[in-house]
Amino acid sequence: MDKEQLLERYFENKLSQEEALLFQNYLDTDPSFAKEWAFQKNVKKAITLNERADLKQKLQSFETPKSAKKWLSKWSVAASIAVVLGAGYWFMNQSPDTIELYEDYYQSYPNVVAPNVRGENSDNIKSEAFYEYDNGNYEKSLVLFSKIYETDKDDYALFYKALSQMELQKTTEAIATFKQFDLGKNNAFTPFVKWYLALAYLKEKQQDKAIPLLKSLTENENPQQEMAQKLLKELE
Amino acid sequence: MNESSIVIDLLKRNDEKSIRTVYNDNKNGFILFAKRYNLSQDDLIDVYQDAIIALIENAKKGKIDDLKSSITTYLFGIGKFMIFQKLKKEGKTVAIDDFEKIEMIYDDYSEEETNLQIEMLQNGFKKLGEQCRKVLQLFYYEEKKLDEIQSLLGYTNKDVLKSQKSRCLKQLKELSK
Repeated sequence: MDKEQLLERYFENKLSQEEALLFQNYLDTDPSFAKEWAFQKNVKKAITLNERADLKQKLQSFETPKSAKKWLSKWSVAASIAVVLGAGYWFMNQSPDTIELYEDYYQSYPNVVAPNVRGENSDNIKSEAFYEYDNGNYEKSLVLFSKIYETDKDDYALFYKALSQMELQKTTEAIATFKQFDLGKNNAFTPFVKWYLALAYLKEKQQDKAIPLLKSLTENENPQQEMAQKLLKELE
Repeated sequence: MNESSIVIDLLKRNDEKSIRTVYNDNKNGFILFAKRYNLSQDDLIDVYQDAIIALIENAKKGKIDDLKSSITTYLFGIGKFMIFQKLKKEGKTVAIDDFEKIEMIYDDYSEEETNLQIEMLQNGFKKLGEQCRKVLQLFYYEEKKLDEIQSLLGYTNKDVLKSQKSRCLKQLKELSK
């Protein structure tokens, strides 16, 4: 049995007595083996801590009033109050069902492209755009992402341009932006484009346009597959 | 399937409604039961949330598939165990017989939260692609065997999954530098 397999079986809790002895022997005599073992143990801890933190955040949200819950975790209290007020206004002007589903399912999409701190690349428009986005300055991020898209035609810029519009409640504009995506291309953004476009349609009470998008999300494995199934069920 | 195993199954799948139901249904009971240990309300909620997390975690790991007691009993057992640990950490004395019968499988990693290497791995993990996160999450967190992961994620061949896994580990190593 090779060392890699031995490590695998260790983490699967499947080491036989004999293998456990061999394992111990490698640990004592082979520093690179010991190092790899320590690394993978840390990976296990890191993933566990991430999972627990996510769950904790969810549980804590159960303790805060419903309308505020999704925002509180992300932003400062001040910003979230503004949003809740805005959401309240927008609630009064809409009929309940699809809007309520939108509110239940919509979550700000994180910056997964360029984690950064300001100042590192201050001349870099991309990091500037994400900086504004991360801080909830969507007016600014909208301008910057639009600019990037005009010059570079990068998918990420288009995607975050649309998300900035969603955050600003410019739903019809967001829909128009999302529609610029070539959905046949199927890259990392595709499932999320479909998802957010479907949510935008729901917010506009265009259920008939949201449903086919959600259906296509349920058809193959992708990060939004489960959510799409859930939402679809509630729409039916 | 009895009622508990249905709920356990839903918890495994991260079903938000079920998590919320279990959370709400047991909260007041737990707080009432745990009041005697002289912890603040905030601390009690905090412990209660950690107990729920442990419950879900053990469900995902398949550790309570054969649970004999009700979920509530199990949950309170974990909570009690956590209170005991907390009091011990704070150097408070507790009547041991209160906690005698508790045996819980739950790794407390809270001291690792300040371990820089792990923190870097935590951040690196978030930057991994979706598929890598899934593979590693199932293997290291949910403690699924490679065979199970193979069928869960639809790999036609175990060796493909294995090499995917080691590629992901390598990427994670790079991203966590």
